[in-house]
Amino acid sequence: MGTLDKLTERLSRGVARRTSRRSTLAWLGAAITGAAAFPVLPVARAASGSPHGGGDGGTHTPYATGNPQDPGDRKSCDYWRYCAIDGFLCTCCGGSVSTCPPGTEMSPITWIGTCTNPADNRAYIISYNDCCGTSSCGQCMCNRNEGDRPQVRPQSNNDYNWCLGTQSSVYNCSTAVIVGVALEQPK
Amino acid sequence: MRSHALALVLSASLAGTALAASPPAYPAPLPEEPIPAVDTLPRQWPASWVLVHDFHFASIVDGRVYVLDTTSPERPVRGMIRASQFANMLLAAPRGEVLTSETFYSRLSRGERTDAVTIWDMATLEPKGEIVMPGGKRQQSVTYPQLFQLTNGGKWALVANFTPAQSVSVLDLDARKVVSEIDLPGCAQIYPTGTRGFTSLCADGSLLSIALGPDGQVASSKTVEKVQDIDRHPLFSTPAWVGQTAWFVSFYGQVQGFDMSGPVAKPLPGAFSVGTAEGGAPEWRPGGWQVITSDARGLLYVLMSPNGREGSHKDGGSEVWVLDTAKKARVARIALRGVAAAISVTREAVPHLIVARGDGEIDVHDAATGAFVRGLGRAGGANPILITPVPAAGGPGQ
Repeated sequence: MGTLDKLTERLSRGVARRTSRRSTLAWLGAAITGAAAFPVLPVARAASGSPHGGGDGGTHTPYATGNPQDPGDRKSCDYWRYCAIDGFLCTCCGGSVSTCPPGTEMSPITWIGTCTNPADNRAYIISYNDCCGTSSCGQCMCNRNEGDRPQVRPQSNNDYNWCLGTQSSVYNCSTAVIVGVALEQPK
Repeated sequence: MRSHALALVLSASLAGTALAASPPAYPAPLPEEPIPAVDTLPRQWPASWVLVHDFHFASIVDGRVYVLDTTSPERPVRGMIRASQFANMLLAAPRGEVLTSETFYSRLSRGERTDAVTIWDMATLEPKGEIVMPGGKRQQSVTYPQLFQLTNGGKWALVANFTPAQSVSVLDLDARKVVSEIDLPGCAQIYPTGTRGFTSLCADGSLLSIALGPDGQVASSKTVEKVQDIDRHPLFSTPAWVGQTAWFVSFYGQVQGFDMSGPVAKPLPGAFSVGTAEGGAPEWRPGGWQVITSDARGLLYVLMSPNGREGSHKDGGSEVWVLDTAKKARVARIALRGVAAAISVTREAVPHLIVARGDGEIDVHDAATGAFVRGLGRAGGANPILITPVPAAGGPGQ
């Protein structure tokens, strides 16, 4: 698993555009970030017998990137970019690590994590944009709660549905998009 | 056509065989049964019944709440209530009603959004009415009970909003209308407080208590600083209620009470630990979704995981630790039959601990002895995450 460091950078993206309630935004600020909603782990974990659960409950054929600098199985919760993801993996749902499935809309506001790529040992900023407008994918559920805090800290809570600012708040799956390198030097 | 003809021949042949084989012990056929026929439920449900919320991860737009008879392994499911799209549910037993707070789109996953509270009749499970909430603000998240609560003697409902701006809508259940909206910047969750008001927990570790006037507007508000250390000792958002005292447990097992009977929440002095035990790897901590609950006597029940560590707080627990708040001590440990996400205790004369396991099984234990009594199978659906007991006849609400 990559390391998870909650970003302190302020990334407001769509939030400011889509709400008029400035009083809340003052603190929510840009730290929010939001993304991926969800699921309570205990259910999936216990049901699957796997620490990361899995909506499909069965085995799957690994799906590697083919790029030695981006190693791992993109359908596995252990893939390095998923260090702070929470939801169904879009790779299992018709999309990919960085794209939403056809027919969905990508959430403009996201939950951000930093994950360390084991190949080049760089810490990348990963944006967990949700894909919205189609019902729950139900495949490859992946949920981790390191650093998760109660809902009084929305920027640190993964139970919110972050399909906000989209035409529909119906959640389908989550991506894990590289949006930058957090540290110039390898750790 | 040929297959139809063959089917008819077979049918006649089988019927003939059946007639010939009829034993004399059954001289009369089974009686005809009237159709249509739909069951109903008693207006007041027994205290052995519970409501189990199935979040239904694999199709969140189709969440549901099951009405379960915990005395009946043969026929535990007595009915089902819709709970769509990150819904919340409230049992308003004195009103004979179940309330759901839901979100809908006109084309299931797309189209016009409608947020509404639906009022369901406990006897028929049919909708009696609804209150539409404008603005598309209703908070959508994995279901916490404290996002939808009653106040003002059960006449009003409070609904949490998140856009991500935070606010609370006040609904008059009899007038079937939204009467006000209270801005709640930086605070979350709704804990009914006093006779007409609520408390929320805030991001800086404080709490905010708001008393409402008869018009639903803020009559007074008060901040109480430093009631929790969110960074080092965060409290689970869902408490156990004993009357108007809310007992919270922290991620690390500290128990803290708040008196919610007055207009301003009061932290009770003397927080205490759930205790420790051998066998932890690395240590025992509370874990699950509904991790703390109470019985009618005021004992607390905490769902505990032996694999407590950072990030384990939603992993579920394999034991329930019973706490006496007067003695500030653990009085029992109950071993469960599997890892559980939610626990609750019935208000029966002989109370039972109801356990929703991670594999969907619902188990019934004797609350006093901890002994396993019966299993109800997967009567709670795919993802049972909250259990609501039915209050004893004439007793207070949940």
